[in-house]
Amino acid sequence: MLAGGSSRVADVPKGAGEPQLRASGRRTSRRNLLVILGGLATLLLGSVLLGDVPIPYSTILDIVAQRLLGGALPGGACVTSSVSASRCAILVKIVWGTYVPQVLLGLLVGAALGVSGASLQGTFRNPLADPYLLGLSSGAAVGAALLFVLHIGLGVANLSLPLFAFAGALFSGLVVLLAARSPKSTVTTLLLTGVALSSFFSALLVLALLYNVNGDLQVSFWLLGGLEGATWTQVGIVLSGVATTGALLAIYGRDLNLLQLGPDVAQSLGVNARRVRIRTILLASLCTSFAVAFAGVIGFVGLVSPHVVRRLLGVDYRRVIPASAAVGAIFVLGARDLALVAFPGTEVPVGVPMAFAGAIFFLYLLYRRPTTLGTPTSA
Amino acid sequence: MTESKPLLEVAGLTVRYGPRTGVQNVTLSIRPGELVALAGPNGAGKTTFVRAVLGLVPAAEGRISIQGTPLSELSFRERARRMAWLPQEEQPQENVPILDYVLFGRYAHVPPFYSEGSRDFARAEEALRSVDLWDRRDSGIWEVSGGERQRVLLARALTQDAPILLLDEPTSHLDIAHQLELLDRLKRWRQGADRCVVTALHDLNLATRYADRVVVFSRGRLVEDGPPNEVLSAALLRSVWNVDAEIRRDARTGLPYIIPMIPHHLEAPRGASGRLLGPIHVVGGGGAASACLRALHEEGFLLTAGVLALLDTDTQTAEEMGLPMAVEAPFSPIGEEARQENRQLLAAAQAIVLAPFAVGPANLANLEEVLPFAGQCPVYFLDGASLEQRDFTDGQATRVRDRMLAAGAKDLESVSELTERLRADLGRPYRALGNPATPASASPS
Repeated sequence: MLAGGSSRVADVPKGAGEPQLRASGRRTSRRNLLVILGGLATLLLGSVLLGDVPIPYSTILDIVAQRLLGGALPGGACVTSSVSASRCAILVKIVWGTYVPQVLLGLLVGAALGVSGASLQGTFRNPLADPYLLGLSSGAAVGAALLFVLHIGLGVANLSLPLFAFAGALFSGLVVLLAARSPKSTVTTLLLTGVALSSFFSALLVLALLYNVNGDLQVSFWLLGGLEGATWTQVGIVLSGVATTGALLAIYGRDLNLLQLGPDVAQSLGVNARRVRIRTILLASLCTSFAVAFAGVIGFVGLVSPHVVRRLLGVDYRRVIPASAAVGAIFVLGARDLALVAFPGTEVPVGVPMAFAGAIFFLYLLYRRPTTLGTPTSA
Repeated sequence: MTESKPLLEVAGLTVRYGPRTGVQNVTLSIRPGELVALAGPNGAGKTTFVRAVLGLVPAAEGRISIQGTPLSELSFRERARRMAWLPQEEQPQENVPILDYVLFGRYAHVPPFYSEGSRDFARAEEALRSVDLWDRRDSGIWEVSGGERQRVLLARALTQDAPILLLDEPTSHLDIAHQLELLDRLKRWRQGADRCVVTALHDLNLATRYADRVVVFSRGRLVEDGPPNEVLSAALLRSVWNVDAEIRRDARTGLPYIIPMIPHHLEAPRGASGRLLGPIHVVGGGGAASACLRALHEEGFLLTAGVLALLDTDTQTAEEMGLPMAVEAPFSPIGEEARQENRQLLAAAQAIVLAPFAVGPANLANLEEVLPFAGQCPVYFLDGASLEQRDFTDGQATRVRDRMLAAGAKDLESVSELTERLRADLGRPYRALGNPATPASASPS
C-alpha cells in the first residue's frame, strides 16, 4: 500500500538538474524512513507475541510460520512445544484466528487514520486537522451504529458497516468543509465545528446504543475503539479499502503540496483547488470509515502521525501521506500492546492509551502554536 | 510587431464584489513584447483587474481572451501554462525547500499521476540561477529574507514557461537595487518570443522608466493608456492621485520623472472656510529660514518670503518651491524696490515668521519692517532668545525684537512648535495678546 506514493518519489529521474546538495537531506530522510519501517516491522512481530492468553512465544512463532508457508513445515504447527494435537488446534485458532487478525486490523486502522489525518491537514492547511477532532470518526461511528438500530443489511454486516460509516463520515466532512469555506473561518472555528459535530454524534451514538435492545453494541467499543472482534474477512475488506484510498491520496499529494500556498496561488499554478478539497475529503472520509466500522473511534492517531513524519521526512505530502500510514500503524499497535502489558487481564480499549498520549501532544501543539501552526510573519 | 495578435485581450470587463464595483468596463489589449505598467492609487482596481484576468475573481460582464481563447474555455492547467502570476504576498504554510517551491511552477506541465522529470528540474535550475538563488536551493522558504522570497516567487513564475507574466506590486518588498534589478530582468525577459509582462506598480518613476505602456486606473475605471511620455501629466496626477507634482524630463533618457510637491494635498491645513491657510511671510537669510520653509511647505501652508539675497541658500529653497518673494542683490543693503515688494507681501500675510538669521546693518530693515505688524497679525520669532548672539548692530536688532515681543509677538523654540501654533492661530481670527513674560523681554537691553 505504501508503494504507490513512496516509490513514485524515489523514481524521480536523476537528470542534469537533480541537485547534489540535496543528497544529504535525502540521505537523512531515507535513513529516517528505514527507522520507521524497521520500527513497524519489530512492533508487528512483538504485537503478535502479545495476547490476553499466555502462549509460549515459540509456539506462536511456529503457528505463524506454518500458516504463512501453507503447512509446509515438517511436524505440524506446534512442533517445538510438546502439546497434544487437540490443544494445538485450539492454540492455532487463538493465534491465527484472533491474534494475527487483531494485529493486522490494528496495523490497517492505524494506517487509515494516519493517511486521513495527513490528507486532512493538507486540505485544510491546518496542522490540527484530524478525523477524530473534525468529527469524521464519530460521524462514521453513528453511521455504523445506525445499521444495528435500523436492522438493515445486518446479513452482510462486513460490507454494509463501512458503507454506513462512510455516509456518517462524509456528512461530517462536508459540514466541516462548509465551515472551512466560510469567510469567517479560522483555525478556532474549524476545530470548534469539529467539537460540536463530535459532541452531537457522540450523543446520538449513546442514544442509539441505549435503544439497541439486542445488546450487540458495546458503548466502550464504539467510543474508545477496540480490535477484539477482528476477523480475517474484516482484515481483507479494510485492506482493500485502505490500500485503494490511501494510494490515491498519496498520489494526489502533489495537489496538496500546492494547496499549501493558498487556494489562489494554487489555482494560478493549475490546481483546481475546489476539486482537490472535495476529492480529498471524500477519500479521507472513506478511508476513516473503514477503520471506524471495524475498530470504533480511536482518537489522535491522525493528528500525531503526520507531525512525526514531517519532523523525520520533510513536508512533501507525497511522502508524508504514505509514511503517516506507517507511523499511524505504529501508534495503534503500540497503544494495543501498552494496554495489554499495563492492564493485564482487563480489556482496556485501544483508544485509551492513545487518548492519553494524543491529548498531551494536542496540548503541546496548541501552545507551541506560533512556530508549528502559523507561518512566520517575516523571515 | 503591430501586426501580431494580442496575447491578452480584455473587453468591457466589470467585476463586482457584492454591491461594490471593483473594476468597471475596462477594455485593454496587450501585444507580444510589451511591458505594461498598471498604475493608480490604492483601491483603484489594479489588483482586481489582474485577479480577474487570472480567473481568480469572476467577471460580472465582459470578455477575457488569452492568446485568442476565451478564459472560460481554458482549464486551470491550460491557464497556468499561458499565464504566470507573481502575487504581492504569499504566506507559505510549510517550510518547503526553495528548489521544491520553484518546482511547483511545473505543476501544469507534469501530467497527473507523474512526478517532475529531468526537464522540470533543468527549468527550475535555470530559473533559480537567473535570480542568483541556486546556492540557496536547499534552504526553507521561511528561512530567506523578504527580498529573496520575492525572487523565489519570480523564479517559480519563470518555470511556468507562460508567455504572459502578471505581477502585483513586485517591488513592494525590495530595496532600490533589487527593484531596478527585477525590472531590468522583466524588461529583458519580455523581449523573448511572444511574451508580455503586465505589472501593477506603485512607483510611477519606475513605471515610466521601464514600461512601454502605462495604464492608469482610477476608481475601477481605466482613465489613461499609452506610452509614459504621453500619459503622465501634472493634471493626471492631481485628478487621479490628488497630488501636486512637477513632471520633469530626464536629460539622458528623455523619460518623464515625477517630483511630488506636497505629499498629500488633502492634509494641508485649511481654515473654517476650507481655504488653505496662509500666506505666511517668512523672513530669513543666510540659510536660516530653509528648514522652516521646507517644514511649512511640507505641511501645506501657503508661503511668501523676503527680503532675501540673490544666490542665498534661503532664496534657492524658496525658488524651488516657487514662492513669491522679495529679493535684493547679495551683500548690499536692502533697497527701496525690494522694501516695497516686501511690504506688500507683509501686508498680505496672515502671519509672519522671523527665522533665526544674523542681523547686521545691511538687513536690519528686515526686522524693522515687521515691527508695525506686531499686534496686527501673529508674529513669531524662531529662537528669538538667541538674537543677542547674532546681533551685529550694537543692540539695535535686540531692541526691535523686544518692542515686538511687547506688542504681542511670540518667541518659539522649534519649527514643530511653530507649525503647531500656526495651525491653531490661523484657524481663528487673530486677537493681539498681552506680552508673555519671556526671559528675553525681561532682560534689559
